[in-house]
Amino acid sequence: MLSLVLWAAGASVAPAQEPDPAEGRELYIDSCASCHGAEGEGAEHGPSLVGVGAASVDFYLRTGRMPLANESQQAVKKEPAFDDAQIESLVAYVSSLGEGPPIPEVDTATAELSAGQELFRDNCSACHGAAGAGGAVGSNAFAPSLLETDPVQIAEATIVGPGQMPKFAFEEEALNDLVGYVTYLQDVPEPGGEDIGRVGPVAEGFVAWVAGMGALIAISMFVGRKRERSPAEPDQA
Amino acid sequence: MKAGRLAAISFVLSMVASLALVAVYFVGESTPLEGTLLALALGGLGLGIVVWAKSLMSAPEVTEEHEALSSGPEARDRTKAMVQDDEVTRRTLLVRLVAGAGTTLAAALAIPALSLGPRPGQTLFGTKWTSGARLVDRNNDPIRPEDLPIEGVVTVFPEGFVGSSDSQTVLVRVAPDLLEPVEGRQDWSPQGCIGYSKICTHAGCPIGLYRAEAHQLLCPCHQSTFDVLQGAEPVFGPAARPLPQLPLDLDDDGYLVARSDYLEPVGPSFWNMTGGE
Amino acid sequence: MLKWLDERLGAGHWARKGLKKVFPDHWAFLLGEVALFCFVVLVATGVYLTLFFRPDATPVIYDGPYRALRGQEMSAAYESVLRLSFEVRAGLLMRQIHHWAALIFVASIVVHAMRVFFTGAFRKPREINWLVGVSLLIFAIGMGFTGYSLPDDLLSGTGLRIAYSVMLSIPFIGPYITFLVFGGEFPTEGIISRLFVMHVMLLPALVIGLITVHLGILWRQKHAQFRGPGRTEGNVVGKAFWPSQVFKSTGLMLLVAAVLAALGGLVQINGVWAYGPFDPTAVSGPAQPDWYVGWLEGGLRLFPAWEWTLFGVTIPSAFVPGVVIPGLVFTILALWPFIEQRITKDYEVHNLLDRPRDVPWRTAVGTAGFLYMGLLTIAGGNDVLALTFNIPVEGITWFLRVALLVVPVVGGMIAYRVCKELQVGGDHPLRRRRGTVLRRTTSGGFEEVH
Repeated sequence: MLSLVLWAAGASVAPAQEPDPAEGRELYIDSCASCHGAEGEGAEHGPSLVGVGAASVDFYLRTGRMPLANESQQAVKKEPAFDDAQIESLVAYVSSLGEGPPIPEVDTATAELSAGQELFRDNCSACHGAAGAGGAVGSNAFAPSLLETDPVQIAEATIVGPGQMPKFAFEEEALNDLVGYVTYLQDVPEPGGEDIGRVGPVAEGFVAWVAGMGALIAISMFVGRKRERSPAEPDQA
Repeated sequence: MKAGRLAAISFVLSMVASLALVAVYFVGESTPLEGTLLALALGGLGLGIVVWAKSLMSAPEVTEEHEALSSGPEARDRTKAMVQDDEVTRRTLLVRLVAGAGTTLAAALAIPALSLGPRPGQTLFGTKWTSGARLVDRNNDPIRPEDLPIEGVVTVFPEGFVGSSDSQTVLVRVAPDLLEPVEGRQDWSPQGCIGYSKICTHAGCPIGLYRAEAHQLLCPCHQSTFDVLQGAEPVFGPAARPLPQLPLDLDDDGYLVARSDYLEPVGPSFWNMTGGE
Repeated sequence: MLKWLDERLGAGHWARKGLKKVFPDHWAFLLGEVALFCFVVLVATGVYLTLFFRPDATPVIYDGPYRALRGQEMSAAYESVLRLSFEVRAGLLMRQIHHWAALIFVASIVVHAMRVFFTGAFRKPREINWLVGVSLLIFAIGMGFTGYSLPDDLLSGTGLRIAYSVMLSIPFIGPYITFLVFGGEFPTEGIISRLFVMHVMLLPALVIGLITVHLGILWRQKHAQFRGPGRTEGNVVGKAFWPSQVFKSTGLMLLVAAVLAALGGLVQINGVWAYGPFDPTAVSGPAQPDWYVGWLEGGLRLFPAWEWTLFGVTIPSAFVPGVVIPGLVFTILALWPFIEQRITKDYEVHNLLDRPRDVPWRTAVGTAGFLYMGLLTIAGGNDVLALTFNIPVEGITWFLRVALLVVPVVGGMIAYRVCKELQVGGDHPLRRRRGTVLRRTTSGGFEEVH
């Protein structure tokens, strides 16, 4: 928990070396321009990036959702294609194209969990699941699990609304509470034993049948089987 | 292993587990440990008893004959004759009256069940929305269109009724040129802000999901899907009716207000919803 | 002691008769006992829970140890469940054992009913006990659903909301009976205490009464038995009740309780703290009921958007899958012994059981019914399937809509064929002998023994 907090704090602090938009532009031309246009104006295969803001660029690059090989698929979390410095210069370049939301600052240590829980329940749990394990939201869309996502990216996604996700205009404090609650979910105490996927009654029913009923049928067989040959099955020799 | 020994070991194991269970209770919380020890205590005792029964009891196979269940026609006739005693059956008028009085009493006794709930009356036909009621969020803050980003979504209530179940409304903002309003509702969505009842028309769940790119609202219970741009027409799933749309307007201070209540009943369908009582 | 009882109740005779009662020896006859013992565990743990649970919708502010809900307003009912889970020693264990026992109680009733169905044990003279058993299944589901709803969390509140809507969908009387049952328009304050009375008093009383009748009839009619040497329609061959059967049943009871205790301690179930308190304007996903209501949920999910309005009367789309189909399912299930009697014209007493293959058409019908219910249950979790296997939920829904019409028929036909084959082959499919037996012939060669 503490290390996460420190990491989050570190991520939002400006780096010692100013990122270079010119270097970012070079990376942009190589990896992004084919879809989003030479000046970020958008093209057939990708939307305009003018005014999307640093939060959006940082989110898509740090979660590896961009660059995307196949535009018809939902972008999913993977290893980032760029290192930290490269991402910072790309962010600097794209945010220089137009005004947009900056990377939010979060500090989960000061978050009010209970307020975050309420926000999560009202706005997030229908799609991402009560425990943040993700959910199917119809069509080809899936609300991803939040259990591995870094705090800053959670905050960014809330503001940016990537893909099918709507945008949420939370105030700074509320956003921090929300992110605090999601990071709490990532490490939530499970006092009752194994959490079996945190998807609720479907997994519970499966366990009840396979493990529970399976064990009880096996026990019935053990208790009820006779030791000698059963007269119910006539001798066949 | 000899069966007797296995049974003995099981019993001892059970005893040890029971003692440990007591200790764990006093030491403190550990549900997994408690469960494991309880399972061992119960299971050890059970296993020992079963092993004993299976291996150490001769339990010869025995046969039991079925006696006939039926008592036969003669006995039945005698019973029948006894029931149809003259002193009972002859008085047909009294028989009918006693049956009638019993039924009437039963009905009278059932009547207090009506105290369990009110008559539906008009409750299912209206909500707390009134003409000029401001839309407020959960914090009771009124909303201007610009407070909500394009592709943003928020649950709203009539001012003064935050949390009201039947008035809950989902407010979505979309780029105004995308909207294809239903005939007669062209001016219900100022600056692309469009409000629909949040209660699914199928089984009443709150429509919690908004797919922003597709502009669809989705019910998490049975996956009914509604097209926000076209009057919340259902496009998939079991819901047959569009979500009722709340007529919206702006007041003089630029806040979103309702023009009126919903023009049709919100929530799941019921038999007389088209008419009213 | 015996003398004392004998002089007052004549215990000497009937006790000996009872202890000598013969129980046929087959493990499948223990499945009903498993259900009974789950019920015993449910009563034991349930009484404990009752001592801590508050069936009360009064709003309170939580200030217990679960940090993520501290300071929130919630019902006293939900607060008491949190307290039971986090503050009462052994409380969470009891709650979890109770919930697992409920899931497995219904599961074991279903398995027991399938044994009875596929072996024809419901035939004359046991039709009454079949009806009692079907009633027990229905009341067990009712106990499960009312219990699932008691904690007043966001997930179960959504389930109640669906139950309300389904009830509301009944033509002509829906709104009236719904308002009587719920006490007004959803959500109502009083529903938790009403469900509580149902869950801890009315339904258990009915279930205990019906179990007594079920066992009483069994005692009077004696067990049915599988065919075998020395076994006829007129006798029961097996072990005496005392001592072996009493020991085995006692052992089985303890082992059932052990399995439930292990699950209750090691596998978390219904962590209501994660769902949060009930709020009629929010919903949590994935939204599912416990498994035994899954088929109703699945029906609601699969049924197309068909809603009719004729002469001003609307038939809501929830009515057919929510009311009509369950009504038909339980009616057919309950009346099956009489339906079969009509078809076979067999009015004889049967104390010898069929093997499933002996009556292929019944096995086919049972298989089809099982597949139908199974597919509906799967449909109840279509969104979780979509997430797990990364398939669009609409695709799963369409697939299941078609499968629901096709798979039971095909499955039934296959079951019919398999039964016919087995009748010819004669061997149990799972106990077929592997390899061949060779016999040395007098001439010194070998031949296969068939």
